[in-house]
Amino acid sequence: MEEPFLRIEGVSKVFGAFQAVSNVSLTVGKGEIFSLLGGSGCGKTTLLRMLAGFEEPTSGSIFLDGRDIAGVPPWERPVHMMFQSYAIFPHMTVAANVGYGLKHEEGLTKQQRAARVAEMLDLVQLTPFAHRKPHQISGGQRQRVALARALARQPKLLLLDEPLAALDKKLREHTQFELMSIQERTGVTFIVVTHDQEEAMTLSDRIAVMDKGQVKQVGTPTEIYEYPNSRFVASFIGSVNSFEARVIERTGGFLRLSVPGLGGEVVARDVAGVVEGQSVTLAVRPEKITLSKERPEAANTVQGHVKDLAYFGKDSLYRVELPGALLQVHAVNARRGDEGLRVADWYDAVWLSFDPGSAIVLVD
Amino acid sequence: MSSRGLSRWFDRKGWAALLVGAPYLWLVVFFLLPFLIVIAMSVATKTPTAPPYSIGGEHPWINLGSFGRVLTDSLYLRAFLTSVFNALVAAILCLLVGYPMALGLTRVSKSWRNILLMLVILPFWTSFLLRVYAWMGLMGKSSWFNGLLTDTWNLLVPIDWAVKSVPMMNTNFAVVLVMVYTYLPFMILPLYASLERLDPTLDEAAMDLGSRPSQVFRDVTLPQSIPGIIAGGMLVFIPAAGELVIPTLVGNASQPMIGRLISDEFSQARDWPMAAAIAVALLVLMVVPTMIYSHYQARAEGTK
Repeated sequence: MEEPFLRIEGVSKVFGAFQAVSNVSLTVGKGEIFSLLGGSGCGKTTLLRMLAGFEEPTSGSIFLDGRDIAGVPPWERPVHMMFQSYAIFPHMTVAANVGYGLKHEEGLTKQQRAARVAEMLDLVQLTPFAHRKPHQISGGQRQRVALARALARQPKLLLLDEPLAALDKKLREHTQFELMSIQERTGVTFIVVTHDQEEAMTLSDRIAVMDKGQVKQVGTPTEIYEYPNSRFVASFIGSVNSFEARVIERTGGFLRLSVPGLGGEVVARDVAGVVEGQSVTLAVRPEKITLSKERPEAANTVQGHVKDLAYFGKDSLYRVELPGALLQVHAVNARRGDEGLRVADWYDAVWLSFDPGSAIVLVD
Repeated sequence: MSSRGLSRWFDRKGWAALLVGAPYLWLVVFFLLPFLIVIAMSVATKTPTAPPYSIGGEHPWINLGSFGRVLTDSLYLRAFLTSVFNALVAAILCLLVGYPMALGLTRVSKSWRNILLMLVILPFWTSFLLRVYAWMGLMGKSSWFNGLLTDTWNLLVPIDWAVKSVPMMNTNFAVVLVMVYTYLPFMILPLYASLERLDPTLDEAAMDLGSRPSQVFRDVTLPQSIPGIIAGGMLVFIPAAGELVIPTLVGNASQPMIGRLISDEFSQARDWPMAAAIAVALLVLMVVPTMIYSHYQARAEGTK
């Protein structure tokens, strides 16, 4: 097997009595945008700092481009970081900030250095601001200075710590796409730490979901969203309706589950490692549920009534009350119509249905 | 205005005026007026009366003779040079000793920091004179400290250069040593204040971009602490240049510092106009560089 570009192998980090990262193994390919996603204190930042060299793993090793980088100090790693606070040197101009790392690049003439700075400023569209001081530019521009500075030395690996957290919503969406296009143009491997699942979903080729120092699941955004492997991942990414369930029968690629919360039986697609009689969790995403007035011809149907309804324009969120549960249903408002044409109204009796393929069965 | 209107005016404007005015009033009463008196005295004529000077009276009304002597008499010029030299050396040594201490203070845990800061200020709890006398004891010929230095010296140099004891007392070296000891906290505290404000992630960013710790210090820490260096330098240099007690107690009487001359003119020579003229000259010498600095500081802040 070919050696992956970045291989993290059984890495743990302990601070005193606190286990910040425990036994994490990951591989990242060259040119990938890879996200570490998790809540605060999940260990994602510690993992990033170990890649940058600010922390050394308590155990385990990190291989970059086939080379073990344990014990290599930060100033010798071909890894650069974009800090969450940007950490721009306040006493230097924008151009001096961007060119700072190039001072250490041997064999570069003054002209080559200036040319590289100009190229980087052009890449992030900051050429007119080259001679400004950091406090004379906006937050979004500072973010781009930090990005240009980190990219100037052409790192093998760029680490981005919450790159968009300090920007307002409009700017964040714009910057997301800008980051992706810059990554495409430079071909540098990006590792992004974020707590924002939407940010991770749009930016990343693959995501590692972390919790309590452990990696819970690694996969493409689709895999993580559609095929979560645990209750934690299912509820952390997007919203989900989940119920206690028990496996009654396993036949023909399907599972027959008894789900007391839905007042009956549910058919779901078979998953590996399930035995008859086992207790599992059934999870259904709100947008995978169809809502109708008439009883539909479908495998899984339940009846309830609309308790609450929120209209968002492009879609609506219904909260449907069943005898034993409250379900969230997301329905796209595909057709224009006045209020009377809505699928259902407050207190209406409705039928809910979902496909066996859309039902997620979770063992963990 | 009725008395009620007056009290209402006071409620609205008076308190603010009082708050703003109090420091100005203080400066006028305790700095500006005495300073004007000193200036007036410096252009007065020495008389055998009490107080021993007269302003105005016969022609010339303004007697610039004292200033003439300050600018021409080599005794005063040498004293100015000695003062500036000693104060400059003391300020530089305070910086060299104090900078690592201030930087160290920012790198230790919060609880250690408080203890160490306390230790920096602790010497102020004993009398200044007592501490100078302690140094006199240490530097004297028969002290263990001098003995230790003597033995070390004799061990390191050829036998011809051997000494019975290191001559420390009554030298400029002693003056500088005690001034460094005395004024060190005035250097450490402003340096600490400016270093403590620095964002530690900037150091990490510089390291991440390829700088070794020594380069991080040169490129990131040092340039950002220049205001602290200048503040600490002035807090040491200005009082050290006018220092009276330390050179009197441990210094070389034949190489007086300017403070000593002012004191002598006032008390022994009873030449108050001369003393006042030296004092004014010293003030000008200290104030001009300060003003130049704050001018450039203001300009630098304006362009920021």
